[in-house]
Amino acid sequence: MRDPDLKALTGLCAKCGTCRTVCTLYPERKAEIAVARGKVALIEAAMSGEDGDAAAVQEALTDCLLCGRCERACPNQVLVEEIVMKGRADLAEEVGIPAWKRVLFGKVMASPAATEIARKAAAAGQRLLPGKIPTASGLHYRFPDGLGGEGRTIPKLPAKGFIESLGKGEAATGEVMLFVGCVFDHVFPEVGRAAYETVKASGKSVAVFRDAACCGLPAMVSGDRRSATGCAEANVRRLRAAEPGAIVFPCGSCLLMFRRNVFSLIPKGTPAYDDAVSVADRAVDYASFLLSSGVLDRLPDPPPGEKVGEIGYHDPCHLSGTLGKGPEAREVLSRAVGPAFAEMAGADLCCGYGGTFNVRDYPTSARIGGNKVAVAARAGTKVISTACSGCVLQMRDMAARTDPSVRVVHIAELVHQALFRK
Amino acid sequence: MHADALSALGNLFGDRLRTSLETRICYSFDATRKTFLPDAVVYPINAEEVRQTVLLANRYRFPVVPRGAGSGFSGGSLPVRGGVVLSTERMDRIVTVDTENLYAVVEPGVVTGTLKEEARKKGLFYPPDPASLKFSTVGGNIAECSGGMSAVKYGVTRDYVLGLEAVLGTGELLRTGVATAKGVVGYDLTRMLVGSEGTLGIVTRATLRLMPLPETAATLLAFFPENRKSADAVNAIVAARVTPSAMELMDRTAIDCVQALMPVPLPEGTGSALLLEVDGPEAQVAREADLLTEVCRAHGAIEVRRASDAQGRDELWKLRRSISPALLRVAPVKLNEDIVVPRSRLADMFAFLSDLSARRNVRIVNFGHAGDGNIHVNIMISGTDADETRRAEEAVAEVFRKTVEMGGTISGEHGVGISKAPFLEMEVGPLGVAVMKRLKACFDPNGILNPGKIFLDEAAVRG
Repeated sequence: MRDPDLKALTGLCAKCGTCRTVCTLYPERKAEIAVARGKVALIEAAMSGEDGDAAAVQEALTDCLLCGRCERACPNQVLVEEIVMKGRADLAEEVGIPAWKRVLFGKVMASPAATEIARKAAAAGQRLLPGKIPTASGLHYRFPDGLGGEGRTIPKLPAKGFIESLGKGEAATGEVMLFVGCVFDHVFPEVGRAAYETVKASGKSVAVFRDAACCGLPAMVSGDRRSATGCAEANVRRLRAAEPGAIVFPCGSCLLMFRRNVFSLIPKGTPAYDDAVSVADRAVDYASFLLSSGVLDRLPDPPPGEKVGEIGYHDPCHLSGTLGKGPEAREVLSRAVGPAFAEMAGADLCCGYGGTFNVRDYPTSARIGGNKVAVAARAGTKVISTACSGCVLQMRDMAARTDPSVRVVHIAELVHQALFRK
Repeated sequence: MHADALSALGNLFGDRLRTSLETRICYSFDATRKTFLPDAVVYPINAEEVRQTVLLANRYRFPVVPRGAGSGFSGGSLPVRGGVVLSTERMDRIVTVDTENLYAVVEPGVVTGTLKEEARKKGLFYPPDPASLKFSTVGGNIAECSGGMSAVKYGVTRDYVLGLEAVLGTGELLRTGVATAKGVVGYDLTRMLVGSEGTLGIVTRATLRLMPLPETAATLLAFFPENRKSADAVNAIVAARVTPSAMELMDRTAIDCVQALMPVPLPEGTGSALLLEVDGPEAQVAREADLLTEVCRAHGAIEVRRASDAQGRDELWKLRRSISPALLRVAPVKLNEDIVVPRSRLADMFAFLSDLSARRNVRIVNFGHAGDGNIHVNIMISGTDADETRRAEEAVAEVFRKTVEMGGTISGEHGVGISKAPFLEMEVGPLGVAVMKRLKACFDPNGILNPGKIFLDEAAVRG
């Protein structure tokens, strides 16, 4: 452990134990090593030279959803997410990063063209999967057991991604820039399209950011600093060069990357840092943009009716929690669907996705997520809306596994329906 | 630790025995931030496993250190002699909440806040409320006899423990006490165990008294120019025959700490603040809140804020609840004491502390449960300046001497642990210590349970 920031960051932890009360993972593990206080102690020990096994410490740091609930509850405002990510990056230099991750983050996701090829290959391959589950949010395939968790389902991948479906020269320049993100481009292009068309309905011209490399968050949370920094620097350079006004993010995790995380990757005083500041200033979540654009003022009164209270909103940890953008999405929903929106049971509980956590420990991820969806469904929610790609992926899987009648959507899809309904 | 001992524990616990350095590090600390590595950690799920662990410990002679949430302030759960940390966090069932006889039966790993909430759902009330209630466990609270903000009206943990099931140092399973409102058969072994810091027995089940839930509550936050005025207000409130369910005093040093972290707008000239709470039937609460406001004003309060709804009350509480963790922003090391003086001597003690801080040139942050005369005295130091550390330790000794001289006690609710072991005799005298040691030998003849706590000759060096 060499990162000099880590000493100062961990030194603020009073070991009081507050993190135990809010940790998403603690009820699953019931062991101190799961919670922030334990992880801080491990890093402190490692820094004082007491670490026996860097791989074991890395394993402990990896067992975290980075939901940030501990950080927000912490009376001392210890920056747990940053500590865990820095710790992972530091240890990755000692124990290495698995080759498949290096290729995925450093080569595939860093390149729009390679991502597209990968998606096409995966789309072709998944047709061979035998089990099909029709769900309220689209077809899912049963994933073969033994390859990443019993019972996992994956959404049917589209033949064309959202950006690929745009006409040549369409949405090339504009006053507003849309950062679609990998998932809403390649996995759920209908969300990318809904976001694009609803932002466009504001009357402003919209450019879709086509050179997008992955936002870099998956690489960053995996401790692959090099790939993450590569993605971040390429993105902020190109985004700044495009000189847009607002940069709109339908995905809360991508937004977190540009609003906060890039600053711990890109060193101060470099040109890339200036780019990052300029991009952060203009980066805005989808809901906030809609509210400021006035597009919702054009909505007819939402239909009163029989569907009172059946649409809920799931708080993405990064968006509602870390960035504090929970009320905005609710306001958008209230105006788009009226009384059909109601506060959902357990709205602010983490969905258990955690990016690579879901790959690493699918059974735990699925227990947390399955419980989340079940609690909401039991309390009468039929449609779970949200605003983050990871949460959509996770909860669509959970619905496919437990209750395919529960529809999981991005709020942009509901706004699109309201704006363009026949 | 002996390899045979570890393999016997392995047979008993399977993967609930952990010996990796990583897990041991995670059980090496508590809220004192001192660290002592255990040799192993076990996670029992029932009393029999606790019993078997202690039997093995007698056979192989290793220490067993019970640990709830590790949130204590005196080092009670620190494995100062190594050995096995016995974590109760997986014994976390609420066995019954009896609404007819008003008691609950719980396992030791139940989080106090969870019990309070379960009782509340049934219209009942478990009053003890240590500041750590959201994460500290019932077992830990019993071991340390935790107090809290509401002690002024409702008493402390011991006042709610009716009966216990505990594994003694011999490995025998003792059942004490009753599940009834009264009981005087034989010695009060229940009270003997409460506050014994895991040195006499490991609680495996507790029967706890519940009360009807108060109908409503109101919170007041009164700002005073100085401690003497707020301390006078405290005595005037008691004289006015009102018993608030909380009377928390924060002096300027404490307010400043929290302000640095999360600013709460304060009236001009604030040098001390008093947080008051009253609970009970609605009409009574309103009347008493009015009366408290009047008394505070009459004793020089600059402003009195009041809230009756949950959110507003929470907001007022924020200032008080944030002090303890915010202290770390002041200095990296705190010598954290929790003395109690007769309520009428509060103002004198505050004056003494202020003088002491100047005289010894150390920063001292004071706050506490004024209704109980319980002051949390926090001496804040860098930990790297040897001279400052020496001055701070001398200051602590002075505080304790003054406390005992005033007729008070050196620990109201944190316990002795390792932090106060050097001062035990100062308060209880040589015979007191000797009798305590005889009792220890009776419950735990081989010194298995939590060695190195309470008694000086066994205690680790204060560090």
